[in-house]
Amino acid sequence: MKIATPVITLIVGLALAFSLLFDDMTAVSAKKAALAAAAASAAASASGPASARASASVSAVASVSAGAAAHSPSPSSTLGFVIPPHANYTGEVQGDLGDIAIAVHDTFAIAYFCNGSTQEAWLKGTPDGGKLSMTGKGNASLTANYALGHIRGTVVVNGISYLFSVVAVHKPSGLFESIADVRGATIKAGWIVLSNGAVVGSMMPNVNAAHPTSQAAPKLNLSALTAQYEGTTIKVTPVDGETGSGF
Amino acid sequence: MAAQWEPPPATRLDPVQPDPSARLLVVPALAGCLVALTLGIYGRLHPPTGVAVDIVGFSSPATVKAWLASVAVVFALVQFGSALVMYGKVPWVAARPWISGLHRWSGRIAFIVTVVVAVHCLYALGFETFDARVLVHSIAGCLFFGTFTIKMLALTRRGMPGWVLPLLGGLAFALLVLIWFTSAFWFFSIFGFRR
Repeated sequence: MKIATPVITLIVGLALAFSLLFDDMTAVSAKKAALAAAAASAAASASGPASARASASVSAVASVSAGAAAHSPSPSSTLGFVIPPHANYTGEVQGDLGDIAIAVHDTFAIAYFCNGSTQEAWLKGTPDGGKLSMTGKGNASLTANYALGHIRGTVVVNGISYLFSVVAVHKPSGLFESIADVRGATIKAGWIVLSNGAVVGSMMPNVNAAHPTSQAAPKLNLSALTAQYEGTTIKVTPVDGETGSGF
Repeated sequence: MAAQWEPPPATRLDPVQPDPSARLLVVPALAGCLVALTLGIYGRLHPPTGVAVDIVGFSSPATVKAWLASVAVVFALVQFGSALVMYGKVPWVAARPWISGLHRWSGRIAFIVTVVVAVHCLYALGFETFDARVLVHSIAGCLFFGTFTIKMLALTRRGMPGWVLPLLGGLAFALLVLIWFTSAFWFFSIFGFRR
């Protein structure tokens, strides 16, 4: 039986889609396999409308938020699983023009954007049912939605808008800050540790200047939680939504 | 002698049948709807991972997709132009025998390229609604693949009404351009023509 060529086109497209999908899945599967066990127990306790989504995403990255909800008491198991009250999100913004870290802890959220040199912004806001609207100095702003271990939105820094879509992370990944007095000037530095181990950080050498400038942050010593700046050792604090540190 | 008076033929009491050839569209249309719905539901339920396979030479998966989408649109323009010539809508260009081959092959290439982009989009980003641009893009993306499916299946049947292929082809083209505007065009306008 001769198959019509348009049907061949569709079959080729479908085959290509499945092989690419398989490719993508194997790229992420290692991470998923490790967390699937934790997600399975969380999904079993979830109830109501959330369980449909929970079962669909049991083997997905969403299990990271299940881990977060499991070891911090959440208001209700279903809401906590879908909209985690304590979580840290880090990742690259679209176009790889910088990195974003957002820490959510109950009614408070802190976010930090930096590109490792002159562009950075600290933002604060109040999470509201999976929505975040944050502001910072210099008209910095951030709007995002988060659920099931994933946050997506836009951050505006110095008039430039960056899109991001990043996942929840655990220690040692996350956001770190340091505020210190060095030689009479107050410095503020921020570091984002990504889940692939990369560290990006910027700092303001003079926070109280009329127009504070930004530059690359000194290298972060993650195990000691310190950094060296102009011969002085400065202490670094984690800004961790899961424990509430830095809030 | 007067002609025999014949009673007029009985008035038709049965309703006029609609053009039966359009019925051939039902199965393809259902298949297309199924495709569009499957893509949308998958995109909504599957939590986006934000990661996918990287391609060397480009700065990020987003730029790869923006360029691939633009390549697809270029081929789609060739599609559109060749279709106009095939239907005799371009007065100064005569339809040559190879025009239909050009149409089919430019379409196949454009389609394969869009599949590559769409798989990444669905898997890493999902069906998004957080602003109007991504909502339009998500909906148009699902509709495009549904429409393309209907057009391919419609081509396998003879005897359809003449408006079917141009309508489906034009709709597919319009949806693809809408998809490109809400993604690649937007991306290039913010980040510039980057590799």
